[in-house]
Amino acid sequence: MKAEAKVEVQEKIGGMAFYPGCSLDGLGKAYEKSAKAVIHDLGIQVENIKNYNCCGATEVKTVNYDLSVFLPARNLALAKNMGSGVVVAPCNGCVYSLSRANKAVTEDESTRQRINGYLGKAGVSSYDGSVEVKHLLEVIYQRAGPQAVRSHVKKPLSGLKVACYYGCLYTRPKVYTGAGLQEGKDNPEHPHYMDDLLEAAGATVVDFSAKTICCGGGHAVADREVSLGFSAAILNEATRAGADVVSTMCPLGHINIETNIPKIIEQYGDAIVRPVMYFTQLLGVAFGHSRKDVRLADNFSGADTAMHRLGF
Amino acid sequence: MPIHEKNLVDKDRLLVKEEAKLDGLDVSGQWSTFIEQRILGDYSTDVLDAVASTPAGKTIVNCWQCGTCTAGCCMHTDFGLREFNPRYFIYLAQKGAEDELKKYAPVIWRCVTCNKCVERCPKGVRVEEVVHSIEGYMRSKGWMGDTPASRWDEAFVKNTLQTGVLDELALTRSYVSREKLAEFNNRFMLRMALKLVRTGRIRTGPLRHRVKGWEKVRDVAKEILEGGGEG
Ligand code: SF4
Ligand code: SF4
Repeated sequence: MKAEAKVEVQEKIGGMAFYPGCSLDGLGKAYEKSAKAVIHDLGIQVENIKNYNCCGATEVKTVNYDLSVFLPARNLALAKNMGSGVVVAPCNGCVYSLSRANKAVTEDESTRQRINGYLGKAGVSSYDGSVEVKHLLEVIYQRAGPQAVRSHVKKPLSGLKVACYYGCLYTRPKVYTGAGLQEGKDNPEHPHYMDDLLEAAGATVVDFSAKTICCGGGHAVADREVSLGFSAAILNEATRAGADVVSTMCPLGHINIETNIPKIIEQYGDAIVRPVMYFTQLLGVAFGHSRKDVRLADNFSGADTAMHRLGF
Repeated sequence: MPIHEKNLVDKDRLLVKEEAKLDGLDVSGQWSTFIEQRILGDYSTDVLDAVASTPAGKTIVNCWQCGTCTAGCCMHTDFGLREFNPRYFIYLAQKGAEDELKKYAPVIWRCVTCNKCVERCPKGVRVEEVVHSIEGYMRSKGWMGDTPASRWDEAFVKNTLQTGVLDELALTRSYVSREKLAEFNNRFMLRMALKLVRTGRIRTGPLRHRVKGWEKVRDVAKEILEGGGEG
C-alpha cells in the first residue's frame, strides 16, 4: 500500500530517478556528495534508484550485445516502476549506455521482445524505452540554470580560470542522446552548459579546444599509450588556454586524467599539470560549502591544496 | 606523383626511385614514388553478410565512403595512428577483401568508443559499433586472438556479474597483475589504496555494494552469455 502511494506522489511531481552508477559510491564519492549538495541547494529533487546495477559502460557491448542492452534496461525498468519519467545520471558512460538501451528497445521489435523476456526472468517488469535519460549537467542547466546558480552564490569563484572538460559521451552520439535534435539538450559539437553555469558562479571560463576530446575511456588501463596521450593532451591544452583548474563531469574521465598524472609528470614534466575537479565541487564551493564538504581532498590531483592556495 | 593516404599502400609495393627520369626530364623528388600494380581477385560476401546481420553492425550497408568518420577519428587523427581507418575497414568489409582486412588485426581493437564518428556520419552509420562488429567477425574467424582491450572487457563483465556493481579497484588490480603492467606496481596501487582508506572510499572485497536479489539477475545474464545473445 505504502509503495503504491509513493508512486503516485512521484508521478505528480514528475519525480526524477537518480542513477548513481558504479563509481559514485566508491572512487567518485566526491562527485556524489557535491552533486547532491548542489542540487539540494537548487531545489531539484531526485530519488535514488534502489538496487540498481552496473550499466555495462562501454565494455559489455563488445562482449555481448543482448547483455549490453539488458543491464541498462533493468535500471530503466526500475526507474519506470518508481513512477519516474526521467533518469538522471552523473556519468557520461552511463548516459551513453542507458540511452543506447532506450534506442535498442524502441527501434527494434525483436530486440524489445528478447530484452523483455530476460527482464521477466530477472523479476523486473517489462520496459518500452519510455524513460528519458539525462545527464546531471543538463538537469541542473534546465531545471535551475545560470540565473538560479547566480542567486545561490555565496563565495563567487572570482579570479578562478577554469577549463571545462565535457568528454565524449555526454552528447555523443546524437542518435542515442538526442543532443542537438531535442530541446533541453546541449550542443554536441560545442557544449556550453558547464561553461555557462561556472561563469554564473563567478569563474572565468577559458576557451578550451579539448572540451570534447576523448580521455581514452574504457581503454584507460588496457591501452596505456593512448590513455596517457589523451590525458596529457587535455592538461596541455588547459595549460595553453591559461586555466588554473580543469572542471569535469564524468567520473571515468576524471579518474583517468587524475591517475595518469604521475606518469604525465614523468614523461612531460609538471608544468602542464592542473588540478582536476568535478563541476559540482566548484559549484558547491561557490554555494558556500567548505572544501571538506565537497570532498576536495578526495581528488588525486592536489585540488584541495590548490583551491586553498587560491583563497577558497 | 604524390600519393594520397600512402599508409594504405603496403610498404613493399611502394617504389621510391632515387633518380627518376621521364623522357629525359628529371622528375626526382616527390614525383619519384610509384605504386606497384596489384590485382585483388578474392572477394567474399561473408563479411558484409555477417556484420550486417548483427544488431550492432546493421548500419554498415548505409556507408557511402565519404571518409568523415576517419577525418575526425580520435585514433586516426588525434592519436595519429594512420593505420586505424574506420572508413577503410568498412570499405574492406563491404567489398569482402578478406586478405586485406586481416592485415588490420593488430590495430582494429584500439577504437576508444569516443563516438565522434557516429555523431558525424552523414549516413547514419553507427561507425563505432560497426567497427567493433567487424572486429568481432575477425576474431570469430580466428584472424585475431584476444587483445589487451578484449581481455579487459571480459574481466569487466566477470567482475560486474559477481555482485551487479563494478568493483573498479579489484578489476584493475587483477588486470594489471595478469598483464604485468609495471607502471601500476605495488607502490602505485598501495598509494592509491591508502588514499582511498583515508578518505573512506574502500568498498572492495566484502565491503562492496551489493544488489539485492542479484543471483536471479546473474542467472539471466549467464544464460544470455551462454546462449550467445545477439551479436
Ligand atoms: S562517415 Fe559514414 S558514410 Fe562516411 S565513410 Fe564513415 S561510415 Fe561511411
Ligand atoms: S569511436 Fe572509435 S572509430 Fe569512432 S572516432 Fe572514436 S576511436 Fe575512431
